Amino acid sequence: MIKIKDLQHHFKIGKKGNERHVPVLKGVTLEVGKGEIVAILGKSGSGKSTLLHILAGFMSPETGSVVVNGQETAALKESQQASFRLENFGFIFQNFQLMPGLSAFENVELPLKIKGMAEAERKMKVQKLLEKVGLEEVAGHYPNELSGGQQQRVSIARALITDAPIILADEPTGSLDSETEKDILLLIQSLNKKLGLTFVIITHDEEVAAVADRQYRLHDGELVKGEQRHAV
Amino acid sequence: MQFKDQIDFIRQHMKRNKLRVATTILAATMGCAFLIVLASVGFGLHQTITDDVLDNNMVTQIEVAGKSDGEAEIPPADIPDAELQQIKEMAHVIAVVERNKPEAETEIVIGNRSTYSQVVLSSMEEEQKAGFALSEGKMPSKAEEVVVGYHMAERLLTEAEMEKEANGEEVAGFAGSLIGQTVELELTPFTAEGEEAVEPSTWEFVVTGVAKEPAKDWMTDAGIYADSSWGPIFNEELGLEKGYENILVYADELQNVGGITNALKEDGYYVYSVTEELGTMNVFFNGLKAGLIFVGTIAVLIASIGIFNTMTMAVTERTREIGVMKAIGAQPKLIRKLFLMESAAIGLIGTALAVAISYGISILANWLVPIIILSSLGEEDASGMSIVISTIPWQLVVIASAISIGVAMVSGWRPARKATQIDIIQALRQEM
Ligand SMILES: Nc1ncnc2c1ncn2[C@@H]1O[C@H](COP(=O)(O)OP(=O)(O)O)[C@@H](O)[C@H]1O
Ligand SMILES: [Mg+2]
Repeated sequence: MIKIKDLQHHFKIGKKGNERHVPVLKGVTLEVGKGEIVAILGKSGSGKSTLLHILAGFMSPETGSVVVNGQETAALKESQQASFRLENFGFIFQNFQLMPGLSAFENVELPLKIKGMAEAERKMKVQKLLEKVGLEEVAGHYPNELSGGQQQRVSIARALITDAPIILADEPTGSLDSETEKDILLLIQSLNKKLGLTFVIITHDEEVAAVADRQYRLHDGELVKGEQRHAV
Repeated sequence: MQFKDQIDFIRQHMKRNKLRVATTILAATMGCAFLIVLASVGFGLHQTITDDVLDNNMVTQIEVAGKSDGEAEIPPADIPDAELQQIKEMAHVIAVVERNKPEAETEIVIGNRSTYSQVVLSSMEEEQKAGFALSEGKMPSKAEEVVVGYHMAERLLTEAEMEKEANGEEVAGFAGSLIGQTVELELTPFTAEGEEAVEPSTWEFVVTGVAKEPAKDWMTDAGIYADSSWGPIFNEELGLEKGYENILVYADELQNVGGITNALKEDGYYVYSVTEELGTMNVFFNGLKAGLIFVGTIAVLIASIGIFNTMTMAVTERTREIGVMKAIGAQPKLIRKLFLMESAAIGLIGTALAVAISYGISILANWLVPIIILSSLGEEDASGMSIVISTIPWQLVVIASAISIGVAMVSGWRPARKATQIDIIQALRQEM
């Protein structure tokens, strides 16, 4: 499903002519199979987000390759990448990234609108999904009228609505209290089991990483296989 | 994204910043309304003057003032009949009239009544084809028969009546019909000062018809229309040179006057018609209109600065949202389109309002300005005056809309491009 090979990336810091090169990824290789949950652990600033951003196509790697569903993503043009993301990825962000002007329902509906799906079909689909993630009660609420956990459920629903096979989550519970965190993790697990979705979860939190089938630790720009645990 | 959803999307965005969007629309409206109202004055004046020209001219009449055969100038009277026959046979020409007016003082006398008049010598047959018509009686069938002008009877006054009229009193003139009456025509050759006065010569004619009322109520027709065969007779009796001849070509419709005029010109005729006059006027007024539209466009451009600002702010404010859209999988093209549509919508709403307002202002101006002009001239009666100050033809609406909406989209272009270039990672990092 996902094949990352020898990925290297560095950032330039400082003014032009006097910049410093900071290597963040020094040859990361990773394979994720269909229906797997893979967690990438690491301290803050270790380059986890950078890895995810390259995987998602938000930026291009310096060297190395990312192949998703058989497609080398760096080879795609910007507009093709957008379509590719729409087809293949769902995103869950730490701070939810919901549209403040749209209701929960409309936020979930947005990717389908972008896809150009007809209204009737779209509404039905959103309705069903909202029920599945337990949001039917608050469908008409705006993000500022929702709790953190509810907001993250909306954002998960938005990631799922397009039936994309891969969900990329960057610190999905980073803004939630531990009770809510558990709820969300359980939801992720059940979605993985029921729908066979592939998850790549990025976190600094061991407990979050515990839902994963496999864990990796990003340290000093390199990915090390971590211990395997199955609990929650 | 479906078009309906795109519309929904920009409507939602515009609603979120009602005040800012409303003020920007207001500026766009003012700019566009200024453009339309300003240019409408050019269109209005053009119309007023065109109407005036068409009103005060025999619009289907083309005057032939002579011909040039390459070397010599030929006056109208010397143009051979064969050539006039050729003109008569041209397409859309309904009649060619040769009119002569003897260069002599003309007086009509009936009993103790008389009036100054003007003899028009012409072929009554051709005149009829050209539109000459009677209000009563019939056309002459013999050389001694004539038609008199519509106002002839009321102008035939006794000496006592002439005095009364000079004192400003109402006079009645000849009572009853002139049809069948015998009138005396007195012609006196004009004499230069110091020359001995010449005795008038007199002819008698029977009136068979009265011409119809002139088209304009300010015109008075007290003429007498006789057959052109009288020309040489008058000239010989009075010892006059062959006078100036008027050649008038009549077209069937106004729209054919231009074609006939040009054809005649190509054949070397000196011609004058209403299209000639309108042609030079059109050049002037089209220039004026273009100038006014140009000045008006400056106002639209000023308003466009507002649109540019609004859209730039909108893009900046929504950076995070745009980033999310792009992350989810929205095409850069879609993002650009949404922003362009938003600035176009501002232009469109502004233009629609401006058109409505401009029509209002135009109607108001056409009503108010003549009143102001008249009152400043100290005149009371506004009914006789038909000045159009401002007209808004659909062409002006189209031009102004194209300029307004075009300018709005151009000013939205850079902000829209900026939106497509937003970096997803930077945008996602922004706080809500
Ligand atoms: N655009 C950037 N320019 C320069 N340095 C950056 C940029 N983005 C990230 N970095 C640096 O790269 C490192 C890794 O960042 P990131 O991938 O966000 O870490 P993590 O998500 O693991 O906390 C950090 O040291 C950060 O300061
Ligand atoms: Mg991070």
